[in-house]
Amino acid sequence: MPNQPINSNRRNFLRSTALLGGGLALGLPSFAPSALAKNQSLILYSGQHEKTTTALVEAFTQATGIKVRVRAGNSIQLANQIIEEGRRSPADVFYSEESPPVAALSERNLLTPLQPETLENIRPIYKAQDGTWTGITARCRVTVYNTKLIAKEELPESVMDMATEKWQGKLAFVPTSGAFQQQIVAINHLKGRDAALNWLKGLKEYGRIYNSNMAAARAVERGEIATALVNNYYWYVIAKEKGMANMQSQIHYSGAQDPGALITVSAAGVLKTAKNAAAAQQLVNYMTSLEGQKVLAARVAEWPMNPQVKSSFDIPPFEQLNPPEVNPANLGGADEALQLRREAGLA
Amino acid sequence: MTLTSRSLWRQPWYFWLALLPLTLVVLPLIYIFYRASLLGLDAVINEIFRSRNLELLTNTLTLAVGVTLLSLVFGLFVAWCVERTNLPWRKFWRIGAGLPLVVPAFVASYAWASISVSFQNMAGAILVLALAKFPLVYLPVAAALRNTDPAFEDVSRSLGQGPWRTFYSALLPQLLPALGGGAILVATHMFAEFGALALLGVQTFTTAIFESYELQFNSSAAAMQSLVLLIMCLPVIWLEMRIRGQRRIARVGKGSARQANRINLGWYNLPVLAGFVLLATLALGVPFFMLGYWLLTGASAGVGYEKLWPAIQGSLSLAGMGAIFTSLMAVPLVLLAVKQRGRLALWAERLPYLIHSLPGVVIALALVFLVIRLLPWVYQSTLVILAAYAILFLPLAQSSIRASLELVPTNLENIARSLGKKPFYVFISIVLPNIAPGLGAALALMMLEMVRELTATLMLAPTGTLTLATQVWSYTSDGEFAAAAPFAALLVLVSILPVWIFTQRMLRTQ
Repeated sequence: MPNQPINSNRRNFLRSTALLGGGLALGLPSFAPSALAKNQSLILYSGQHEKTTTALVEAFTQATGIKVRVRAGNSIQLANQIIEEGRRSPADVFYSEESPPVAALSERNLLTPLQPETLENIRPIYKAQDGTWTGITARCRVTVYNTKLIAKEELPESVMDMATEKWQGKLAFVPTSGAFQQQIVAINHLKGRDAALNWLKGLKEYGRIYNSNMAAARAVERGEIATALVNNYYWYVIAKEKGMANMQSQIHYSGAQDPGALITVSAAGVLKTAKNAAAAQQLVNYMTSLEGQKVLAARVAEWPMNPQVKSSFDIPPFEQLNPPEVNPANLGGADEALQLRREAGLA
Repeated sequence: MTLTSRSLWRQPWYFWLALLPLTLVVLPLIYIFYRASLLGLDAVINEIFRSRNLELLTNTLTLAVGVTLLSLVFGLFVAWCVERTNLPWRKFWRIGAGLPLVVPAFVASYAWASISVSFQNMAGAILVLALAKFPLVYLPVAAALRNTDPAFEDVSRSLGQGPWRTFYSALLPQLLPALGGGAILVATHMFAEFGALALLGVQTFTTAIFESYELQFNSSAAAMQSLVLLIMCLPVIWLEMRIRGQRRIARVGKGSARQANRINLGWYNLPVLAGFVLLATLALGVPFFMLGYWLLTGASAGVGYEKLWPAIQGSLSLAGMGAIFTSLMAVPLVLLAVKQRGRLALWAERLPYLIHSLPGVVIALALVFLVIRLLPWVYQSTLVILAAYAILFLPLAQSSIRASLELVPTNLENIARSLGKKPFYVFISIVLPNIAPGLGAALALMMLEMVRELTATLMLAPTGTLTLATQVWSYTSDGEFAAAAPFAALLVLVSILPVWIFTQRMLRTQ
């Protein structure tokens, strides 16, 4: 077989190596191992949206002079990472988009109790019973509906009535999302196991499965499907990107203590193994304080969990929501949710 | 190969160097077995005989077989038309057919998923992923077609066989190693694929593994499912080894093979061209349209420009170092398999392919778990992310390097040895220059994959590292598609050069 002259091969090889080497040289400074970082600073593992975290951390550093290094990631994967890291975890504080990942760390005895002052900043109920983590901001389960496809009057008071034949092909849901698990647990808690199982079976039969909340909310906005069970802020994210006036979909709040109006929270906790425990406590305290909560309230369409702070978004006041009486601390039971989903053929 | 202490000392230099990559790829296995062993026998049996596993098994196999077959059809069709017919604009199509590799699978999947919900199912997933992956079949097959000796086909035709029979009995056997090599890459990719499937709504073992981590924080259940994935992958690897191992097709006689005559397509040019245009529209047009749409609409446009340069820098440096590191790891492994051809050496070389079927999250968590316990001072340093890249992408380097190594005439080496040169010197002066094109292809293909890697990068790169992929992820998970668009577009742009190098190398060598 024809072989290329060796010289030309070598030249080609050198050429592509030079191209790669160029890219390489750009980034050599990043070779310093993070474990050897010189100035002692806090390490925050954050699954919260990047911009929100950055704003919060900058305000904290300005207020206290304490530097924070942020390891951004997906909340669930970060929790799994901390579990695998075990006692050697470099993380000081964990800030999660939802409460179950923090609760999972608490269950595995990886978190230390927060300062009483921190917990007092936050509304009752929305924190761990053992004081190892606290809710930071809250969002509400809602039904997003496309105004062209369905009239507001047709939407039922309770999500329990949406798992029926009448809703055939009109309801999007995301069985694998964290908030949906919490909703299953809440229904199980409030209405009993049979009700939860029947609801899931109904959804499987008549609803349409989507793989992410954002995809479901966008599908409603596009008019692909009439309604979706999601968290309120997904609608605000789309509205922000598209412009409020152009929205084809609207939010329907269930209210009346229906499981469809469930409140879920983003949450934070301090690691038992934090190297800089005092500063770590200070950071979580700041997150629940007036100043910290104001930073958050200006950036996400969620309810600040410090009752003295109001959201800057056009969302109904927290007191009007009338959610079901479930403690987010009790919504961790993913095993129970999974068992129910398996029985309903959804997992 | 029996390893008595005497024979161990006589092992060539590359035997010792091959132990390093082998140790790396064994790490995830250790972690998986350890985690699965924590489950206890009852739980293991429960987990294996769950009725859902049957569904997952069916889905995973349907997807892997479907995408592989469709990629083979696309790849073979395009390669044959480009190399063996008088199709117009062949030069353009030859390079262009490699281009779908520049589009990250999640961009393509996102584009398709947002066109219509009717693509969010198994059939849609097979189509979308085959469109993204067929160049992995096209490139080796096109290269093989260039180098096959048309004399085999002439003989077949002169014996009165029809064109189809000739294709089947004279040409296809010569293409089998290339087809098999492409197919194994596509199939193992499919076992491990997650991001695209989450968007397209297909559940496989890999999505179930993610679910175990996500909903239960249960790494033992995830480890069990990983074991099932590994077991499923074994027959694929065994099959590919059979195809590669048994056939030897060689020309007898002197001189080089002549170029095959191109078939005149005549009026068939029109439908074939239409097919090419359709394929290009589906594989490139749809995702590019989506990117353009993101770039131009949405309130978050223009956010985060200050991070563009650090992200480019982060991506190129990590991927560049990763590609070089992984190639260095791959060379001794390939040498071991090609030169020794023992059963142990062959399986050692195939082990990375097995690991290639594992999702990134398992590999990343395995390294988190092991490194922080064994080598805590390197945890979350660049070294660990390079090791993760090597574990994830070794097979890509191996395939390209192996293809060119098998073509280095042993005579050359024997002559050098007979002149009294040491084996390592012979490797540097004779073998290395000859496998340089293969190395170039390997470097390019790995850069391409590493630039896109997300899960391991998020967990293992030094805290604060930005890459294009992490930025796209960060903005899209906030729904800020317009802000994500420049990063996604850059991800495509920086992929063009590696794809071009890879395409050139693949089509020129062998």
